[in-house]
Amino acid sequence: MSRPSKGAAANAPEAAPGKPILVVHDIVKRFETPDGILTAVDHVSFTVAPGEFVSLIGPSGCGKSTLFNVIGGLIDGYEGAVTVAGERLSGPHAAIGMIFQEESTFPWRTVIDNVAFPLELAGLPKAERYERARHFVALVGLAGFERRYPAELSGGMRQRVSMARTLAASPKIMLMDEPFAALDEQTRLLLGDKVLQIQQELKQTMLLITHNITEAVQLSDRVLVMTYRPGKLKREVEIDLPRPRTSEIVSSEAFGRYVAQIWGDLREEASRGLRDDEQYKLERKDHP
Amino acid sequence: MNSFAAPARSGLLTRLLPAALGIGSIAVLIGLVEALIRLGLINRFIVPMPSEIFLAFPRIVVEENVLSRFTLTISEAFSASILVAAFGIAGGVLLHRFTLLRQATETWVAAIAAAPLVLIYPLYLVIFGRSATTIVMMGFTAGVAPTVLKTLEGLSGTRRVLINVGRSFNLTPSQQFWKILFPAALPTIFVGLRLGLIFALINIVGVEFLINFGGLGQLINELSERYDLAGTYAAICFVVLVSICVFVLMERLERWLRPGD
Amino acid sequence: MAEAGRLTATAGRPRRGLLHPVTALRVGIIVAVLATWQLLSASGLLYRDVVPSLAAIALALYVTLSDPSFYFHLATTGYEIGIALAIGGVSGLAVGIALGASKLMAKAYEAYLYYLGPTPKIIFFPVMIMWFGVGAGSKVAMGAISCFFPIALNVAAGMREIDPVLIRVGASFRANTWQMVTKIYLPAMRYPVINGLRIGLGVALIGTLLAETKLSNRGIGFLVIQAYSLFNMPQMYSLLIVLFVISIGANALIGRLGGLHDIKRS
Repeated sequence: MSRPSKGAAANAPEAAPGKPILVVHDIVKRFETPDGILTAVDHVSFTVAPGEFVSLIGPSGCGKSTLFNVIGGLIDGYEGAVTVAGERLSGPHAAIGMIFQEESTFPWRTVIDNVAFPLELAGLPKAERYERARHFVALVGLAGFERRYPAELSGGMRQRVSMARTLAASPKIMLMDEPFAALDEQTRLLLGDKVLQIQQELKQTMLLITHNITEAVQLSDRVLVMTYRPGKLKREVEIDLPRPRTSEIVSSEAFGRYVAQIWGDLREEASRGLRDDEQYKLERKDHP
Repeated sequence: MNSFAAPARSGLLTRLLPAALGIGSIAVLIGLVEALIRLGLINRFIVPMPSEIFLAFPRIVVEENVLSRFTLTISEAFSASILVAAFGIAGGVLLHRFTLLRQATETWVAAIAAAPLVLIYPLYLVIFGRSATTIVMMGFTAGVAPTVLKTLEGLSGTRRVLINVGRSFNLTPSQQFWKILFPAALPTIFVGLRLGLIFALINIVGVEFLINFGGLGQLINELSERYDLAGTYAAICFVVLVSICVFVLMERLERWLRPGD
Repeated sequence: MAEAGRLTATAGRPRRGLLHPVTALRVGIIVAVLATWQLLSASGLLYRDVVPSLAAIALALYVTLSDPSFYFHLATTGYEIGIALAIGGVSGLAVGIALGASKLMAKAYEAYLYYLGPTPKIIFFPVMIMWFGVGAGSKVAMGAISCFFPIALNVAAGMREIDPVLIRVGASFRANTWQMVTKIYLPAMRYPVINGLRIGLGVALIGTLLAETKLSNRGIGFLVIQAYSLFNMPQMYSLLIVLFVISIGANALIGRLGGLHDIKRS
């Protein structure tokens, strides 16, 4: 299921044109629960080309967060393999940068110290650390806030700090799990612009897990739609909207069509999920 | 940030009013007590006049060597808090690191924290004699358990996502501890230290009073045995002052070490 | 993330058999402590009698528990603490609610409570004796002022943590003050209140017992200091053991009443 899409940058950092930088091959992940064995991810395979922006969208309960943790190397015990730039994954890979859904800035560090964290780990001398970190702080649009603490910032700004921190590690792939879920719609659209800008500038490969259709279509070159549990890939949609893009794209006709198409696929899965959830809660009440 | 705030009515007034109310009502209360005593409605041999207490202050400072007693109590508190911090935090870290140990002993530590340990003081008297060591040990014993518990709580309460950030950067266990767990736990650790210090100080002054040895606690005991009521009350005020100083200092220290809040 | 909850559910708390590592470790620790004690006692490394043999302590424990007058003293202390908790508890509750409900009151007075709280209350004992006499009155007073502060402060904090929407619901139904307190405030903050009571019990216990050691002829505190002055160490240890068992038990009981499953939280 891989085709270098039109929108992606053809000259991405390292990797030969056409050779995928991320290969997710036949992943199966099951969990043991008191209700039996649950299959969260059921034979999912896809690839991501260098410089591409791919979104993985699905209803709650489709296993996309599980996939996020698998690709990020945070859980194991799955079947199949994940390969990053030719190397098979066995734990968190240096080439993958993760951005989490929850608040993840270090509250005890200033913005600049947060962003400099990976550079600190790499052992860079202080001056160089700060100079590089400042660049990324400016990249996410927070220039001037270097000395502030996360508590002084808004939710959207804090997510930007987390983003800058991950970018500072110069990962080959950015793996993001619904990073804007906690933000309001307008902030999301504007931050989406920021992300597009960054991707443009760095030619960064990005894999976004989301449940928000608008976000997926706004940002991606390709959208992978997942089914409800057990999670499989239902459909791959190529987003043939022009690049560079801004949030203005949401008002275009083509955009609307893509959203309608994806919602058509999702709706069935989402309502299955809703019914399942209600049924479960009903049963839970009967068997305390 | 929510900017829909009601217009502040002359900021200075709203800031000063509560403080003025607090101080004002206490001043009125003191004045009332003074009046009632002078009128004979309150027995002046049970409650000395506030004015007398006020006058007793310089007297006890000069005659009773309050400053050196103050220093003694503070130094005992200081020694005890160093011990409490060292063993308390280390204990909490140890319990966090070794899960089996934690599962086995956490409820025991909680039980110790809840028990009236101060009654052990006669035992310490026998072991260490009537000395500052007894007092310091008593403070340490009383303060260490809450500190262990809070340190443990802070470390194990670290938000999952912060630990995952560390894992995503492939941190070694040592890095994970020093760069993520410990800084994240610091606020709670400080709560534990404050709690431990409170218990320690209560026990220190208490035991000074009870064994008639040491600094300010002993002073109160002596003055009361001499039936110097005004002096006793003045000395009590002094001890309250010490307590305030210690905790304000702790807060300053905390704010300096944790500028992020 | 509703899925996460389902996926990570655990099967209920397992019954721990004797061979379970936790139980084994606990038994091991207890055995090690007791063995060290006995060794220390037999070796005579510390002063004679500071570490009496386990047998001597066990005997003293038996003697204590079978002595009817012990229960008289226990009842005295219990009675003093009970009344102290009642007085300190009710006044602490009232003041806490007043402080929590009004920002002005809190800003004006709470700081005093905050800084007076950590002051060792035993220093007020001579004053209490003057005001309430040498009998139970001064002991009750000691216990009451000891537990007043943590209860008031905990209740005030608890008030502020009540979800504001609940208060608006009460206001929308035009509840009067008493109804607000009994039907909304107290149920909404039962955990902070119970927690405050637990801490209050702890400090009331300390305050009352210390008062008894200083000046009394009855109560557990008195028995302890009497044992010390007679240098009857085994007796003293037995009293301490009984005292600690009772206080830990009371603490756990209150905690369980408050729906907390362990006595960790403080």
